[in-house]
Amino acid sequence: MNNSLSEKLSELKADFADSADLTVRVVTLKSVRNIRAAIVTIEGMCDKEQLSQSVINPLMPYDFGMLDGEQAAQRILSSVTASSDVTTFYTKQELITYITSGFAAVIVDGAETMLAAGVQGYSFRGVSEPESEVVQRGSREGFTEPLRVNMSLIRRRIKNPDLVFEQASVGGESRTQIMLCYLQSRTSPKLLGKLRKRLERCDLDSVLASGYLSEYLEDGKTSRLFSGVGISERPDTVCGKLTEGRIAVIVDGTPAVIIVPRLFVEEFQGVDDYSNRTYYAAFIRLTKYLSFFAAVFLPGLYVALAQFHPEYFPTMILIKTSESLAQTPLPVTLEVLAITFVYEIMKEAGLRIPKSLGHAVGIVGALVIGESAVNAGIISSSTLMVVATAAICSYVTSPLYPPVTMLRFIYIVIGGLCGLWGITLAAAVMIISMCSKTSLGVPYMSSLAPFSLRTMRDVFVRADWKTLSKHVIRVQKFKETEAESVE
Amino acid sequence: MRAKLCVILICLSSVLLSGCQTSRKIETASIIENVSISAEDSRVCYTFYILSSDDKPKGIRIPADSFGEARKLAESEYIPNLSLSKLELLLIEDSLSDRALESDIEYISTQPSFSPSAYVALCDRNTLEAFSRTAGGQRLIEEQLTLLKKNDPSVCVNYLSVFNRFASSKTKDFTVGYVTCDGEMKISAKKIEKTKAR
Amino acid sequence: MNKLRFSSKRFLLTLMLCACSVILLQNKDLSPNASFSFNIICMLCGLSVCFLLFVPSLIIKRRTGLDFLTVARVKTPSLRLPTAVFYSLYLIFTAEFFLLPYTDMFAKKYYSGVTPCAVALLLVLTCVYAAVKGVNVITRFGIFLFGFAFVTNALMFGGSLGSLDFSLYGFELSGGSGDFWRDSLYFVTPAFIAVLYACLSGATENFRLRQPVFALIFTGVKFALVLFFIFFSLGDYAGKQEYPTFTLSRAARLGSFGGIESFYLALATMSVFMIISLILCAATKSVKRESDVKYVAVFAAIIFSAHICGTYIDSVKEIFTSTGLFVILTAAAALVPLGYVFTGRKSNARKALRNTDMP
Repeated sequence: MNNSLSEKLSELKADFADSADLTVRVVTLKSVRNIRAAIVTIEGMCDKEQLSQSVINPLMPYDFGMLDGEQAAQRILSSVTASSDVTTFYTKQELITYITSGFAAVIVDGAETMLAAGVQGYSFRGVSEPESEVVQRGSREGFTEPLRVNMSLIRRRIKNPDLVFEQASVGGESRTQIMLCYLQSRTSPKLLGKLRKRLERCDLDSVLASGYLSEYLEDGKTSRLFSGVGISERPDTVCGKLTEGRIAVIVDGTPAVIIVPRLFVEEFQGVDDYSNRTYYAAFIRLTKYLSFFAAVFLPGLYVALAQFHPEYFPTMILIKTSESLAQTPLPVTLEVLAITFVYEIMKEAGLRIPKSLGHAVGIVGALVIGESAVNAGIISSSTLMVVATAAICSYVTSPLYPPVTMLRFIYIVIGGLCGLWGITLAAAVMIISMCSKTSLGVPYMSSLAPFSLRTMRDVFVRADWKTLSKHVIRVQKFKETEAESVE
Repeated sequence: MRAKLCVILICLSSVLLSGCQTSRKIETASIIENVSISAEDSRVCYTFYILSSDDKPKGIRIPADSFGEARKLAESEYIPNLSLSKLELLLIEDSLSDRALESDIEYISTQPSFSPSAYVALCDRNTLEAFSRTAGGQRLIEEQLTLLKKNDPSVCVNYLSVFNRFASSKTKDFTVGYVTCDGEMKISAKKIEKTKAR
Repeated sequence: MNKLRFSSKRFLLTLMLCACSVILLQNKDLSPNASFSFNIICMLCGLSVCFLLFVPSLIIKRRTGLDFLTVARVKTPSLRLPTAVFYSLYLIFTAEFFLLPYTDMFAKKYYSGVTPCAVALLLVLTCVYAAVKGVNVITRFGIFLFGFAFVTNALMFGGSLGSLDFSLYGFELSGGSGDFWRDSLYFVTPAFIAVLYACLSGATENFRLRQPVFALIFTGVKFALVLFFIFFSLGDYAGKQEYPTFTLSRAARLGSFGGIESFYLALATMSVFMIISLILCAATKSVKRESDVKYVAVFAAIIFSAHICGTYIDSVKEIFTSTGLFVILTAAAALVPLGYVFTGRKSNARKALRNTDMP
């Protein structure tokens, strides 16, 4: 940029197309040469009081004497501003980045050096407990939208210089700031290199949520059901993953932090497992695995048994089920599909409508559609019970809800067409698909397939902390043996 | 994309061709819970009891010369979608035991759908009449057979052991459960001589 | 994916599960006159022969770290075509050897009225998917199958404990020389895993000689357990039924919990699925170095066509399910690597291979 203030300002205004939120205050500094300077901010992004106290108030009375523009800029940097966070920059691009991030830029006429003072003061949601990951005994803090706040939440938990935050930006138009976060001594450099490459490959115009990026971090096709990219809103969860050698990607403007690589067994591990007694943690883990299987297979198995192998039902259940199904107009496959679909509609409606109406939807769903339909003989009570059980089970492992829902529909159709045999074959295909999936080159099914006995102490059961602390399982352990040349 | 479409079409067509559409649906299948073999008017009568929650057992009597013939008749004329997979009790009238052991047990052994763990017992005529009148007879007989087996392990109570004892060349006789009804059902062990049965 | 090297232990676990399918799909293959003890002796002889058939490919793996097909391709480029043709045909034959009894059992015992060819088509299509993913992924699947097989066998054996009858059937040795040859021949059939090993072991690492030994020992234990329950729990009833292992699962009951045949059928389905997937991988490898969807699809189409012939033409079915012919072909396929063992000295084998352009 040219060193002339007026030219710099006109260029900037042109770039912003005279946008209403671009605020420029031109002042004349107290000096022999009457040097002009401009304080550039974006309306609403900075704290005006802080701006006055740390930049304008010290700047106005200061006597710059005989100094020229460049010297005045250096003096402002060294002696004038009261802000704790002042940096210098030289390009227009940096100028735009700083002011759009809430900094106040000080441009001095005739100086090449420009200054950015940290006076950010935009409003944001405070740190609160994440609704999607509620715990009983863990911390109540959750990530929030501003990147820096989220960084501090991690740093507060890992007070170790080994923790590195590496800044980058993505999105051609939005230029969203992201932060790679990892423990240098525990993360594999290859893993890190691979992640950086993938982020570089991201050609999105705007990144408004972490979900935008997650597809770029997946190995292979993104159309697969299970995701190799984890997301968490809890700083304690992220810190735990960092100690295992994983990498977190914090995206500015979203409380959901990306964690890679993500393994299947992690979906069943919760923060509470590590606070509870080991026997109870093991019980909860096994419950989660059972719930996962019930959520995926129960309606499909019910359809397969009712359609092809009714003799496998215990006698009393068989009598009740056959009697209730005989009174309904739809075939059992269609009935299960219809109820599952209606349930998904009600779930979506419950999520989208205002909270005050949520109860009404619940009542309408449970009483009108459920009970009335059973009483009218439109659907059978046993079918309703099976679908409801599967639906509840699917919430036990909530991160797996999307694949579980899709798989449930697939197994209902297959169970209705091909019976137990079809379900077996589909399950084989599903396992093959899951076994072939990798997350940043680490097999997604690691711990189970490839099997590792040592890691089993934190898979189906949770060993006591004395045992767990002896051998920290780092995620690259799986990679070294398995996935060096995946890509 | 074209390859994927081809695979989906092949899968769909093979599913339709596989014969799955002829499935026994739970509401239309006639699941047989018990079968009794009795002698009526100098003919053998096979009664198929369909699983139901009614107070009175739903039995369909089919006079036939053999179990195989009775089953065929039942499937074609009386009980469509008949399923013997859940057969739990086979009651044989005492006077027909030799004949049933010789031919019917042999026939059943070749049938894949028949459960080899089904209970088998001999009984008198009164038992069969009581069995056809009131529900709960099957559970009562099964409980008593289990008790009998517990007291005397040599008694054959299920189809598998009856068949093996009958087929084995090592034994000349074997004992099975024998149900009598004189107001209430009672069970005892009854010895069967194989030479006589054959 | 195929470039990855994976654990040799896991590969042999997968092969062991494949070998166990032989007893899983057994259909009146054993002599009715032979007793349990007699069959155990036959089994020991049969599995010993299996190990001997394993030896040539094990030596090649130990010397070069590669599979036989790669070694043959490098050492004798002129014999590439006959080797590819022979192994492809053998592997298609092996696929039919398992697929035909499986669909037959499915149609006869489990769900009558189903069209066997449609079942085979769906099964082969899913196998194509697995084969395209590669051997490494199939062996990972094998770990889950091992877990499922453990549960199924526990249910089958646990449910049959109540009907064990030692008064009718004993442990005496009975059977003639004809029975011995017939039963021993049957127990040599698991040797097909030696051929699969010869074709696919190139991608494995950390090979130890004890791994195939353990694999065969565990196969033997599984065979012995199944035979034990068939002889002492089913007794003469097994002789009346086709597919006695299926009948064993049908007769098993844990209290009021029955229907264990569903677990059995799922296990048999997954085992056959795994065998055919591995066969497709091996067949592709016999004609091409890398896994290729087109080659896998072609072999799958051939297997399906052969299955149609086998289903509708009895003489073809007899050929495909002939234990004797299968054992002879397996022995030939397993012993071909022996020629390569003797052609090169151990010391210069590695050197020769290193100097050649290896994949």
